Amino acid sequence: MASNDDIQQNQTPTTPKDGGSKLTSHDITMLGVRSALLQSAFSYERMQAAGWAWAQVPVWKKIFGKDKKALSEAMTDNMEFINTSPPLVSILMGLLTSMEEKRVDRQTIRGLKNGLFGPMAGIGDAIYWFTLMPIVGGIAASFASKGNPIGPILFFAVYVGIFLCRIPFAHLGYNLGTKAIDVIQDNSEIIARVATIMGLTVIGALISSYVSLSLKVKIGAVSLQKDFLDKVFPNILPLAFTFLLFWLLKKKQVSPILLIALVFVLCIVCSFFGIM
Amino acid sequence: MPITLTQGLLLGIFAIIAGLDSWLEVLYIFRPIISCTITGIILGDVTMGIIAGGLTELAFAGLTPAGGTQPPNPAVCGIMTVVIAHTTSVAPATAMSLSLPFAMLMQYILLMFYSLFSVFMPVMDKAAGQADTKKFASMAYLMMGIVGAAFFIIIFLSAYAAQGPMSALVKSMPQWLIHGFELSGAALPAVGFAMLLKVLLRVEYVPFLLLGFVVSSFINFSNVLPAAVIGVVFAMIEFFRDKKNKALQDEIDELKKNNVSGGEEDGI
Repeated sequence: MASNDDIQQNQTPTTPKDGGSKLTSHDITMLGVRSALLQSAFSYERMQAAGWAWAQVPVWKKIFGKDKKALSEAMTDNMEFINTSPPLVSILMGLLTSMEEKRVDRQTIRGLKNGLFGPMAGIGDAIYWFTLMPIVGGIAASFASKGNPIGPILFFAVYVGIFLCRIPFAHLGYNLGTKAIDVIQDNSEIIARVATIMGLTVIGALISSYVSLSLKVKIGAVSLQKDFLDKVFPNILPLAFTFLLFWLLKKKQVSPILLIALVFVLCIVCSFFGIM
Repeated sequence: MPITLTQGLLLGIFAIIAGLDSWLEVLYIFRPIISCTITGIILGDVTMGIIAGGLTELAFAGLTPAGGTQPPNPAVCGIMTVVIAHTTSVAPATAMSLSLPFAMLMQYILLMFYSLFSVFMPVMDKAAGQADTKKFASMAYLMMGIVGAAFFIIIFLSAYAAQGPMSALVKSMPQWLIHGFELSGAALPAVGFAMLLKVLLRVEYVPFLLLGFVVSSFINFSNVLPAAVIGVVFAMIEFFRDKKNKALQDEIDELKKNNVSGGEEDGI
């Protein structure tokens, strides 16, 4: 919704006015902390937009001072659709805040935001959900399933660390300014690829360690599991089962909820007939 | 063991905190490994909470909102797994299977909120247009308040008010059914991993998946750290190769461009 007001505003000289003051290092630190509000007002219509704007309101108030018009323009612009990675979002907030402070024209800021949130969501998902989560969760769970409190403590410590990283990230974005854009755009593909390789190696290990299926069936005196499958390859059944589910998800477009139901039915039927 | 009113209220309060954390994705205390442990502390059964946390965390390893589909809510699943194991004394794996309906209920409530909250957007647009930051903030608080209240109600009702019928139901289940739920608890992580594979796996990455699988099958070690280190090794090798390839590609593009602009055919 590019209104005419915006365009006219772009052409006016962009000098600070009406008592806007310079941001301090503390303001940027608080911006990093407030980035936690990104999903506070999530809805399907505009995803994170309202929370994204809300997190930045204090820095805008400081930048624009008494200039209500500039504040309302910043808020309105930032109510547009955005969906990006929560743990990385403070980089983007820091970067755009530095541009708001320099009174770069609205259209440029908006274009940058729209150009960057997608690639950053890709990097964030690859690093945080698909790589760190299986590694940290897998290691912490291996302690926890033996009743060792190190498991949850380790997990919590790592995620508090990830949260605290939002503060240096906000400073990074703010200080890098436009330099950050090239770095992000040039490297997003390589970073996502490398994270995927790490994640998949760990997922392979998790399949063998934590999916457990074993057959009770005997053919004569030969146990199908102990005397046959385990001799062919240990954990072959969990791998085969995971690939069956993967195939159903990918090629048959079966929904995850239906798959969960399928696992239940299969296990209960196998239990009833004494197969597993 | 039954749950007292105080424990029920404490669980409800924890559900608000963990629920809002799952809404915002900030500290990840909504993940089962933490929510089970805290529930265990509230119910005075810490070790069982930790063990259930380990099991449930793995079942949720691949059930992430990153692929675009909202999974069963991990906070509710974590709390209810420990509640069910505590009140009915079934094994944690069985309790996890039994807690899934509650987690799915919360998932559907959140999906409803995602749609419903769109009606607040025009109000916030108006507040933004008037630079009315107070009204803007109050709308965001309202949404978080609704989410927190929903978590409190669901957990308080399921954990405290419904514990009688729940344990009657579990007691009436035949042994084969309980064993079936136990089996599905152990097989469920496969769904999560399959979902991760759906997002991540391409043919060129299959070697790394198999490598991790083989390493973990034959190294007799209690966690996946060795496989993770091997993953890091290959990721670094690939990283430096990608960088080098990219530099080479840039050089080739440069040469090609110069060649075209120079108009000399015998350049390359």
